[in-house]
Parts: sequence; C-alpha cells; structure tokens
Amino acid sequence: MPTLVLMDVSLSMTRPVSLDGSEEFQRKNLAVHGLNMLFEHMASNYRLEFTALMAFSSLWELLVSFTRDYNALQEALSNLEDYDKTCIESALQGVSNVVQQEWGSACPCQVVLVTDGSLGIGKGSLRHSLQTMKHRGDDKKFPLPFPFPTKLYIMCVANADELQMTDAMDNLEELLHLSGGDGQIFTIEGPLCMKGVQAMFGRLIDYAYSPFHAVLHCGNLSSDVQVFPRPEPVVVDDEVEPMPRAVSTDLEIVGFIEIADISSPPVISRHLVLPIAVNKEVDEVGTGATDELEEEPSASQMAGKNPNFCVLLHGSLKVEGMVALVQLGPEWYGMLYSQADSKKKSNLMMSLFDPGSGPLPWLGNISHLGPISEAAENPYGEDDSKSPFPVQPQVKRSYAQNVTVWIKASGLQTDVQKILRNARKLPDKTQTFYKELNRLRKAALAFGFSELLKVVADLLERECTMLPDSAHPDAAFQLSHAAQQLKLASTGESQHADFDHNIVPMHTDFSS
Amino acid sequence: MKMFSVSHKTVFVVDHCPYMSESSRQQVECDVLTKTRAQGVIPLAPVSKSLWTCAVECSMEYCRILYDIYPKDKLVNYIVSDSEFHILNTWKREEQGTHELMSGLASVGPPNPHEDPECCSILHGLFAAVESLCIITELQHERRAALMDTAERVANRGRIICLTNAKSDTSVRMLEDYVQETILEQNKVAASSDRRMAIQQCELVLLHIYPQGEDTLVSDRPKKEISPLLTSEVHSVRAGRHLATKLNILVQQHFDLASTTITNIPMKEEQHANTSANYDVELLHHKDAHLEFIKSGDLHMAGTSTRENTLKETVTLKWCTPRTNSIELHYCTGAYRISPTDVNSRPSSCLTNFLLNGRSVLLEQPRKSGSKVISHMLSSHGGEIFLHVLNSNRSTLEDPPSISEGCGGRVTDYRITDFGEFMRENRLTPVSEYFIDSFEKLPVERAKAQLERHTRYWPMIISQTTIFNMQAVVPLANLIVKETLTEEDVLTCQKTVYNLVDMERKNDPLPISTVGSRGKGPKRDEQYRIMWNELETLVKTHAAASDRHQRVLDCITACRSKPPEEEERKKRGRKREDREDRAEKNGSKETDDKGWQDSERLKGLIDKEDQESEVIKDSPDSPEPLNKKPRLSTEEVQPPERAKGPVSLLTMWTNRITVANSRKHQEFVGRASSVNNKFELYQHLKDENGMDVHENGKASR
Repeated sequence: MPTLVLMDVSLSMTRPVSLDGSEEFQRKNLAVHGLNMLFEHMASNYRLEFTALMAFSSLWELLVSFTRDYNALQEALSNLEDYDKTCIESALQGVSNVVQQEWGSACPCQVVLVTDGSLGIGKGSLRHSLQTMKHRGDDKKFPLPFPFPTKLYIMCVANADELQMTDAMDNLEELLHLSGGDGQIFTIEGPLCMKGVQAMFGRLIDYAYSPFHAVLHCGNLSSDVQVFPRPEPVVVDDEVEPMPRAVSTDLEIVGFIEIADISSPPVISRHLVLPIAVNKEVDEVGTGATDELEEEPSASQMAGKNPNFCVLLHGSLKVEGMVALVQLGPEWYGMLYSQADSKKKSNLMMSLFDPGSGPLPWLGNISHLGPISEAAENPYGEDDSKSPFPVQPQVKRSYAQNVTVWIKASGLQTDVQKILRNARKLPDKTQTFYKELNRLRKAALAFGFSELLKVVADLLERECTMLPDSAHPDAAFQLSHAAQQLKLASTGESQHADFDHNIVPMHTDFSS
Repeated sequence: MKMFSVSHKTVFVVDHCPYMSESSRQQVECDVLTKTRAQGVIPLAPVSKSLWTCAVECSMEYCRILYDIYPKDKLVNYIVSDSEFHILNTWKREEQGTHELMSGLASVGPPNPHEDPECCSILHGLFAAVESLCIITELQHERRAALMDTAERVANRGRIICLTNAKSDTSVRMLEDYVQETILEQNKVAASSDRRMAIQQCELVLLHIYPQGEDTLVSDRPKKEISPLLTSEVHSVRAGRHLATKLNILVQQHFDLASTTITNIPMKEEQHANTSANYDVELLHHKDAHLEFIKSGDLHMAGTSTRENTLKETVTLKWCTPRTNSIELHYCTGAYRISPTDVNSRPSSCLTNFLLNGRSVLLEQPRKSGSKVISHMLSSHGGEIFLHVLNSNRSTLEDPPSISEGCGGRVTDYRITDFGEFMRENRLTPVSEYFIDSFEKLPVERAKAQLERHTRYWPMIISQTTIFNMQAVVPLANLIVKETLTEEDVLTCQKTVYNLVDMERKNDPLPISTVGSRGKGPKRDEQYRIMWNELETLVKTHAAASDRHQRVLDCITACRSKPPEEEERKKRGRKREDREDRAEKNGSKETDDKGWQDSERLKGLIDKEDQESEVIKDSPDSPEPLNKKPRLSTEEVQPPERAKGPVSLLTMWTNRITVANSRKHQEFVGRASSVNNKFELYQHLKDENGMDVHENGKASR
C-alpha cells in the first residue's frame, strides 16, 4: 500500500515553539524531525513501501514521486522552503491526481497529512471548503472521498487543546469522515517539543507501519515470515458480520492444488512472503540505521545459509506448477505460489481470497477439500491424467443447456425451422425431430402459448401433404402422429398437456 | 449488496385473470418459407402472443438472468393470481430454477377467457406475496442459527414484482394500500412464529401491461415511499418487446448488474465456411467488473454506447486472439458470472460454446491513445462462465528482492524434487457432502492432520539425510506416515528393513552425507549406523500411532543390534557421531556450510575410501569442539569411551589439569557425593518431613 506524505509548508508552520532551552524551534522543524523518524523506520523495517513526498501551501508540488529511496525523501525534507497560506482542498486534489496517475483507482493508498492545525483563512481554507462543498457542481466536487481506498492519517504539530479552541479539530474530523473514515488524527500530547513529536510519530508507526510477522506452517515444517504489505482486516457484510476479520499470525498450509485447477482465481490482495531470521532484533525506532547497514550484509549472509522452509516450498511450487492453499483464519483461505517478475527474479507470494469457505465456485467449499489418500481411488488418476476440479454446479447455466427464449421473433422462427428441417429428413432424423418438437412443446405449454402448438401442427400436416413420392412411408406416419399430439396438447387438457410428458415416435415396422 | 438486502427475496405476482388472455397484438411470422419451396403454398397466418404469454416469458427471462448470475441465495417465489392464488414454488433451494418454474406455469396453463372476471383479482396474489415474504428462507435460518445471540442482524427484506393490467391510477393506489395493510397485518402474525419474520422493508414494482396500439390508462411513477416499510414504483409498459426491455433494465437495477459488449469476435459464416465476419455479443454481469472504469471516470473512453430507444448502457471490450493458457496465473481482482442477454442467438451461443470448451479469451479496453490495455478475461470453470477482471495498473510489489537473496537463499541442495512429490501426495480433492458427517473432523482438518504426519521427520536438504536418498527405504518411508497400517504394510516395512540388513552385510555403499566432519568421511559401518539412527528417528515419530507402527520400530531395533565385537568397534566412532548429531540439531552455520562442501568432496572420495579399510577416527585433523558443551556433560560421556579407545593429547591434558585443579579446592558436597554426576537438591526438605513437600502442605491443614 503506497504512502503519500503531504507536508504543510505554509507560513504558519514557521511559528516558533516556545522552549525553556536556548535553541528555538519552528513547528516545521518538529514536523521534519517526526517525518525523518518515520522514513528511518520504513527504511529498516518497511523498505518495500513506495513513498512520495508532496509539499503544499496555496499551491502544491510533488517533491519526490513514489520511491523506495528513503535517502532521497530525507534529503528533500531538509530542503523545504516556506510559502504562503494553507489550502488543503487543492492539495488533496493534487494527491488524487498523483496517486491515480501512478497506481490507478483500485490500489489502496495511505495519505499522511502533516500540518499544524491552522487550516487557512477565507477562500481556500478548509472551513470554507467544507461549508461550500454541498453547493457545487459536478466539475468542482470536493476531492474526498478519493476514488481509491484511502487511509488518512492527520499528524498535527499541535496539541488537542489548541485545536479544540478553534473549530480546527471539528474540521479535521469532518475531513477524516469524508475520506471514508479509515484513518486517525494524531496530536502531540503535552508540550510541543522533540520528544512529543517523536511520541506522536511513534504512535503512527505502531498503528500503520509495524511489519506483519507470522509463522508459515506446513505440518511440522515452518518458517518465520514477514507478510508485505500488511494484510488489512476485511469486513464481509457490515450488517451480518460487522466485525472486521484479520489474518491470523499462524498461516497454515492445508494442501496443494495444480495451477490449472485453481485457474486465475479472483483475490482481494497480494502479498510478498519473506522469510525472516528468528532471532534478528527488530529495531523499533530505527535509530542508528547507519551502523546497521554495515553489519547487516554479514548477518543476512549468515541467514542465507540456513535452510529455510519458504525457499524449499517456493522451489517446489515453481517446478511443479502448483499452489499451496493456506488457511488465514476461520473459514478464510488464500494461496501461496511462486511469482516471477520480468528480471528472472522470483518470489513466494500470497494472495488472499474473499473470506468464507466458498470463495471459488470451481473448488467448491474449501473446508470440504480433503486429502486424496482418503478417496476410494486417486482422483488425479494413476498417471495424473485426470483432475477432480473444476467442481461442476448442480444445475447448468442457461447458456449451457439449450434454453428456449422466444422474446425475439427470430428465436421462435429458428426453433420452428429446426423442426421443419428435421421433418423433411424423416425417418433418418426421427430422434432429433422429436427432441426439438418436445422442446417447443414444453416451452409453449409453460408460456401458455397454445396458438403456437396449433400452428406448428398445421405446418407439420402441410409438410405431410407435400412429401415427395420418393419419401419413406414412415415420414408420413410420424408427421401426422406428431401433428395430432401437438393439437391434443393445445387443448390444455391435463392428460395431454402434462409438462413432463414427451411425445414419443410412433411405433412402426416397415421391415417386413 | 448485503446478504439480506431486498434482493434476497423476489416474489413475482402475475395476473391470470381472463383479460390477460387478450392478444398482445404483436405478431410473429412462424411460417418463414425458404425460396425453393415457396411455389403454390399459401403461408400460414402469423401468430400473436397473449398478454399472459408476454408476461410469463419476460418474467422467466428475468429469472434466467438472475439464476445465471446468482445461482444461490437470490431467491424467487412465483405466484399466479386469478380467483385464488397459486404458489408455484417455495423459497427452498431445490425449488429454485427456471425449469421448476416452467413446470409450475405449465400446470397452471393460460388464463381461461370464460372465467367470471368479477371473481378474479390480483389482490389474492399480492396477499400471498406478502405472506410469502414473511416466511424465513434457508439462508436466513442458517445465519440466525449461526449468529445465536446476535440473530437480529439477519434482516427480512424483499421485493414484489407485480405484472398486471390495472384499470386506472386509482386502482394502482388501491393495490399499494392493500399491500401496505397486508404487511402490517402479516407482521403481527410473523411475530408469533419461528418460521416467519416480520418484513422490515418491501419494494413493490408494479408493471401495468397493455396491448400494442392501445393507450395506457395508468401513468408511470418513479419510486416513492408509501411508508417506512414500503416503497412503490409503477411502470406502464406495452406488451412484447417493450416489456422484455423493461424487465431487462429492472433485473440490472435490482441485482447491481452492468452490461459489457464483446466486439470483434471472429466467427465463421454459416453459409460460407471459409470466410469469417466479426460479431458483437452482449453480456450481463455484476457491475463491479466495471469498477475500475467507473472510479477512474474512464467509462466513456472504454466505449460506452447508448443504444437506440433504450436508456441502457454497455461497455465495449475488444476480443483479443486467444493466447493465454491455463497454467498461467493471472493477477485477477474479481471474477463475475455472466449471462448473455440474447442467450440463444448464434453469436452468443458461438461465444459461450467456445468458452465452455475450456478456452479463455483476453479482452482489451479500447483507448483513444491507442495503447493496448488488457483489462478482462472470459473463462469458464466447470460449465460456468466468468468475466475476470485483470489488474492493469502498476504493481506496488514490483522489483521485490529475489527469494535467493533472503533467508535460506544461499542453500543449494534443497530436496526440491522430493518436496514436489510430497506436494503431489498432499493434493486436495472435494469430499462429497455425503461423506462429511461420517468423519469427525472436517476434510480440511484431516488434510492438515495428514500434513502433520507426513512432516514429523522431513529433512529439508539433501546433505541432512541418508535414508531419503536411498531407493531401498522408499517403501517403508511411504507407508510409515499412514494413519493406519495393514498387516501387509507391516510386512512390506519389515522386508525393507531386512533388505537394509542385507545391504549392510554386503557392505553396499550408502549415499551418506558428512555433516560436521572434515577431510575424510565416515567409514562404511559408521555410515550404516547413521542410516539406522535416522531410520529409527523417522519410525519413532510414528510408533505411538498403532501397534503395527510399533512393530515396525521393534523390527528396526531388533535388526540393527550387532554382535559384540562389531559393537565394540563402533563405540570408538561414537564420539564423532555425537558431534554430528549436535551439529545437525543446532544447524550451526559454519558446520552446515562445510558440511555440504564436504559432502561434495565425499562423493568423489567415497570409492577411494573403500579401499582404505582402517581410518583413525580421532585423528588430530578433526579436533573436538570441546567448548560447545558444558563440562559436566562431556565428562559424563567421556570416561567409558576413553578407557577403551586411544586417548587424544587434548583429553590427556584436560584430565591432568582437572585433577590438578581439584586438589586446590575443596570439592562441593554435592559433587563429591553425586551419583553419575547428579545430585538431588533440597533433600533436607524430604528428610525433615519424611514426606513430599506437596503432600505436607495438605497434611498440615
């Protein structure tokens, strides 16, 4: 889930923070300090996250577009300049454009808005935007909610009391609500100082950027893994099951399936599954990153030489062209597979299915999948020539079962012509003739279309009179028999108009 | 759409009064004569459908689309009304389906034009519809049972679609009022029943049908709220084509559907088999398949066209010549069932048959800029066709570190092929509902239990194992993991063991690994000892499963015991093995590393070594990693061994120092009076009380 940091560089951010010490800080310095801490944390614990940095005042500017180069982000932070007034609406419009251009509108995105809680004055201020948003045309709509799923974190370099003295807090809450409600407003607890801002960003890191660690199990084989990006809790149906479901930290493989059988299933999200060394200390705050960088290669080299289950699993999945079904929680499943990118690198990837036991109709209920050893005979055949998948639905769909639809005249005409065509080839086509005839009869009875039965009976009788001399004598018998049966059906009398009854060919014997 | 939205239950109420037998005055020519047979034959008069036929076939088309796209838990109850009501099916899942409804309709038959119109009314049907909406469905029952104390989360909503011929706007009001009253009435009844639920929301859709060429007496009215429980809308529609279009639009609105037209489908001409023309086919599916277009405002770019006479919108996607195969795993963000709007037209059935035969088609989103974006895929699974939505945006997971750069990435001798075999054995298969009750556990839990059994002893790399590199062990290794063994299985296992004994007697070489040793690998009898140890480890993990499993273990223990002189020779090598075991357990990095390097070397050396019959085990070039174990435990193992074999210089030195040191201090009481280097602490507690501390606590009370 990419992150976009939206940094307020309006003049109010340069307000000095009153401190007892000799050194004087601006709010901007505090904000930059906090962001540096966030970037350091990400560089060491969340380094696959793409992050962009955007500065705004009355205008906005994308300083660093989405990147994993956290040095570049920190460098840009150190070169911030000061501009005029805060105008959040136009900045949010910018966010919307930038994110959609890069990731489209389906990819969830986290937006970290860093501001001091003074939200502008007059036109362009957040207050003004919120007041006028209901009276605007479609072309000037307020940018929230974004088209993409959003988590909005508002980092205020101010404390809650200060924000509540004005309507700033209400406006920010309104903003969070408009974005879809997913996110949080963070304020500094206690006096404005380095410590306070550290604590605030620490809370953001715990809330949104703590790595997701889990154990991948396959029976007694297991591996510690990091799942990236973090799997987010999912709400199935907010009425019946309002509690969001979270992925368990124990990922249990339940069995294996061929790629052709799982067949490009729909997934709600994709994640890298990265094996991690068990006893490696996780640096929570990310201080001293430089020391670590020097040490890490040797540490990771050591870890590289220990056999790891993920690598074994990945290798075999890739060679065999299979996926592992993995249980993520009660009645929730996903799949593990090898994913190769264009550069010949490949990785163990996990995709999550929709929660529930039957996310893929062609696998049936996943809880009802059992080991092949318990089947009476191997469902894959002794030579792997068969497969128990896909599971067939009990009832065929309309397009797979030759349904009768006469809404368009052409549908009806085609069906009548089919009967006549076969009628002319009697007795060779006796079976098809009666099959088509019975299909028409059934539909006509269901639709209460007795007039059609009479007309087709007439048509068959006419065919009978027009039979050429060369025709087989059976043809005439069958045609008049069929015509008579249709006429009986058209009376609607129950003994002749039974839906489940079929007209059977007249029994004739011309062999003697 | 919520699970229990108004779309969960749909009641069709169709008027079966004498008036409905009137002709719709839309004529269909049945007698389409081919040119060759046209001479001298007078074509038959065209037929026309009755209002009833129009109503029935259009409502069935609505149901066909609904059942195609929602085969489960979007339910229809079909009611016909004349002098009384006729309920054609129930909410039960097995009574859902067009075939079931058609059979019911055939038994009702067309309306009787000679029935007394005064006796007939649509009100009978509307009453039955409201009553039916109160009846709980299987899904509602299941969810209520599952939610227990939060059962009130299961809502009861529904929709009534009434196809009738109303007299005037006033009579429409009358129908609405009647439904409203009946709901209030039935909700009271429902309160006192387990099988019923009060209606929380009802949507009434009234369709007034009149013959072509007549003026309507009823005016259209958009949805309006009659009460908090009831909304109502009125559509006045001419029978025939217009009614079909109206119901097609309604089914899309009611079930969140959208339309996609596949263009440029190459299809062989019926008449000229060698030419092909391009056709279009329109499909309906859940509107989420267009989510990306809608959100990005790309809908127009994607080729929306407003078709003549209708307000219907469709997104155009272009057929791409098939080039995808089934073993490719696409990143797919959604898959939605489809239903063709014109199911039995030739282009539709050509497309659906093509897909049902197992081929997939990629679909391209036409863009003005000319860049080609594949956005969807059509594919069938088990006789159902799905529109898959493919991700066409930049991936947030691009350029990840390769797995070979991470933990375990530098290890090169993983048992990839063996694990592949393991995966094949642990493939899954659907277990039919019929068998599920007969097992205690769900099949998926049994699959997990099998994985657990199969992995009790499963070394991940080739150099960690001997037995899994030996063809001779395979029969036993495959059988021992089974939950239950037959007598025959035990015999096979025993034969495997005897076979190994035989190999040992013949001194056959083993594919042994040499983890932890340097230079020369272990001697042949040493190799066999390692192999037996490993085999024992494997079988021990299963021995508790049954007596038969235990018998296999017994067999191994019995067979591997050696005559005394051989045993003695082995003892000299034991220390080395201890070290190896330790190395295996700790999986220490350096030893592993050297381990597989050595094993490579060993493969070359192994034959040469065969000739060198005696190798000194404790040679100076393989020193003891003494500091790796606490001193006490080394001492514990060492003395008996040392007494028999040659003693290394280091051991002699250590012993000497130990003795010297011990003279310099008074020995601890515990160590001095220890048995086997073990001494029980806090003995005095026992002595003082004459009984266990725990028991004492009880007794004193």
